[in-house]
Amino acid sequence: MDLALTESQEMLRTAARTFMEREAPVDVVVGLQKAESSLEPGLWRKAAKLGWLGILIPTEYGGSGDRLSDAAVLYEELGRGPLPGPFFSSGVLGALTVLEGATEDQRRRLLPGIASGERVLTVAITEPNASWGPAGITLAPQGKNGGYTLNGTKLFVSDATSATDLVVAVRTGEGTNDVSLLHVDARAPGVTTRRLPGFLSWQCEVSFDNVEVERAALLGEAQRGWAALAKALERAVPLLCAYIVGGCQAVYEKSVVYTQTRVQFGVPIGRFQRVQDHVVRLVNHLDSARWTTWEALWKLDTGRPATASVHMAKAVASEAYLEACNAAHEVHAGMGVLIEYGLAAHTQMSRTLFHFLGDPRWHKRRMADALEW
Amino acid sequence: MDFEVTYTEEQQRFRREVRAWLEANVPASVQRIPLSPEDNYQRYLELRALGRTLGAKGWLYATAPAKYGGGGLDVDHAIILEEEVDRFDLSLPPYYDSGGRLGSASILVWGTEEQRQALLPSIYKGEVRTWQLLTEPGAGSDLAGVRMTTAVRDGDDYVINGQKIFVGSDNGTDRIWMIVNTDPKGKRHENLSWFMIDANLPGITVRPMELMGTGGEGGTDSGVKQTVFFDDVRVPAFALVGGENKGWKVATTHLELEHGGGGRIGRNRVWDRLLRYCQETKRDGVPLSQQQDIRDSLADIYIKTEVQRLFGVRNFWLTYARKPKSYEGPQLSYYRKTTGLWMTGAILEAVGPAALTTDTIWGSAGGFLETQQRNGIVSVHPGGTTDIQRVQMARRIGIGRSTREAAGTVHGGDA
Ligand SMILES: Cc1cc2nc3c(=O)[nH]c(=O)nc-3n(C[C@H](O)[C@H](O)[C@H](O)COP(=O)(O)OP(=O)(O)OC[C@H]3O[C@@H](n4cnc5c(N)ncnc54)[C@H](O)[C@@H]3O)c2cc1C
Repeated sequence: MDLALTESQEMLRTAARTFMEREAPVDVVVGLQKAESSLEPGLWRKAAKLGWLGILIPTEYGGSGDRLSDAAVLYEELGRGPLPGPFFSSGVLGALTVLEGATEDQRRRLLPGIASGERVLTVAITEPNASWGPAGITLAPQGKNGGYTLNGTKLFVSDATSATDLVVAVRTGEGTNDVSLLHVDARAPGVTTRRLPGFLSWQCEVSFDNVEVERAALLGEAQRGWAALAKALERAVPLLCAYIVGGCQAVYEKSVVYTQTRVQFGVPIGRFQRVQDHVVRLVNHLDSARWTTWEALWKLDTGRPATASVHMAKAVASEAYLEACNAAHEVHAGMGVLIEYGLAAHTQMSRTLFHFLGDPRWHKRRMADALEW
Repeated sequence: MDFEVTYTEEQQRFRREVRAWLEANVPASVQRIPLSPEDNYQRYLELRALGRTLGAKGWLYATAPAKYGGGGLDVDHAIILEEEVDRFDLSLPPYYDSGGRLGSASILVWGTEEQRQALLPSIYKGEVRTWQLLTEPGAGSDLAGVRMTTAVRDGDDYVINGQKIFVGSDNGTDRIWMIVNTDPKGKRHENLSWFMIDANLPGITVRPMELMGTGGEGGTDSGVKQTVFFDDVRVPAFALVGGENKGWKVATTHLELEHGGGGRIGRNRVWDRLLRYCQETKRDGVPLSQQQDIRDSLADIYIKTEVQRLFGVRNFWLTYARKPKSYEGPQLSYYRKTTGLWMTGAILEAVGPAALTTDTIWGSAGGFLETQQRNGIVSVHPGGTTDIQRVQMARRIGIGRSTREAAGTVHGGDA
């Protein structure tokens, strides 16, 4: 047993942390919060140059083909910001969906652009029913001239306002899993994307108004969309969890520093056992998320059955980030709700990711199923 | 024991009178959700006008002594008023007036007769609104540590300098109720003083703070919080309430009320709207309230809001029946704060991401769920954190110290 990072993972961590400190300190992250698009072109170009957008994409398609656990090191660092941008949406979920679902031709056409950052591809799964299962997919295209016409809405689609490409999960048959994936140009006539306002981070509405796509837009085979998505999700979810772990870690470090520097009643507030309790609660959540996530990553990277672990990791991480932020708010009191301080960006992200790719209840049920109880 | 408030013939007549009056005098427009800062200000002016008409009838501060311009009504009449105003989703006062509520109560206990006569009627009649200014960058929970804002005696005046943070609301204020340091070298608890001052004096500057939310104190959302700077602000010595360096005893009254000692009656608006939302919103053709998971969550939420309501009713009764109190004030605060924070997660899990958006199509009516998501977190801090409430409770229960601490005095003058 060896639970340490490898040497190359340590190097990646250092590089990513240096990048974050230089390019995305608190004021930058806070400054980006209100933007309609999560993509900041300067940051995006630099990240592309570092090879981060193609980290999971095999070398033959222009990426570096790293393992999930390598990518997780990077995503933890991004989560510390929390750095906005379609890094996960395009570089992880988008790339893995294309890898799992597309034909060889389509992979060759799409993946190099995702790796270089020229294409930003986000996957549109959920609808107003906010369900992450195949049954929730009701948007059904009409067949027309050998192609498809789309009318309807996808909701809570992450980073859609910065996307150039969409992969849209659509219903093409009666069976629950009869779902297909369509590749749609995000700027095609009839496609509108809009960031939803409120206490959520770059979750968008995507509307389709008589959007016509050719037959070639079908990603892979008809009716095989859910199978592909399920595979992609199983590998993507732990990376979202890694991003969450990074978020929890940052919130923890901020809180520890604050307990040491904030003085009330003549002493640093860390001297109060009540404050210590908040930090203890926080670190317990952080570590729960960290170790469930990393075990799931290890199982996936070593080809072990990982489904139950993946569901457990997301159930734990979703709750951990929310609770970690709550604890951090208790520690910081007034300072924590001041937008410029930066904790609120995590809090908003923790609420957003609570549900994104499935909330704890959803994952607990699937975990129980996977364990065949 | 009787939980039901029973009404005499006369009280029922009073309810009919109040209801008819409110229906005739509360403009429907005040219930709108403002669309712009200008609209927000317009709405505020309408609420202030309503406050003045209520004040003229003695219904703004119903139980305040009539001889200082209050309603002079008993608790049963006050309950009726609160309930009737609540039907319009309003509270009394119908706008943010924290310094009015807490300042007037403190002045009633600790002010001189001249001060009561001079300062209270305009509050009770709704002619002024008042912010409370306690917190400083270095003094939050440690209110006795107020040091940055000072007042120095100069002839018949005091001169105030310093800074307060996390205070006030949108749309400005007429008066300020504030605690300052009047003896920088003095001992802790013996160096503070309270002032009720005019907010429009030269040297006062107000700058908005961008916060994640502003809480919903006293049923009215302050909208925004401010940093207030004092630069050689000259105030008459008459504005000093409770005596120079005697501010700590005044603070105990102020804090007792702020910490929930006064209690609260009335509906839980978040619960009411949440239930309605879940009954009216369908997912996969079935109302949310009919889905078993969501029913389970709603049941948990309902139980907590009921316990909170009962703590509020108990404190209300203890206050107005003039019964002794110990830990009950901070207990209500603690329960309200921890429940609000817990509810952010419970609602998010029950309703899903629609709870997070203010979108007019996909969010809840007026974005009330999204507001709860933010305010449930933010409300943990104003008026003392959950930790401070627990410190208070423990002291008053009498654990950890040889003497049991008494609750602050909240009655004064001739009620
Ligand atoms: C939305 C909002 C509205 C507000 N409105 C007003 C207002 O109108 N007027 C006003 O004057 N102020 C207002 N405040 C300020 C509020 O009263 C303070 O934020 C609050 O008292 C906490 O102080 P602090 O933020 O400085 O936190 P700190 O006191 O620095 O607390 C930091 C942490 O230390 C803990 N702590 C501190 N002392 C102890 C102790 N002795 N034992 C155990 N734990 C301890 C706290 O619980 C917290 O976890 C408002 C704040 C907010 C967020």
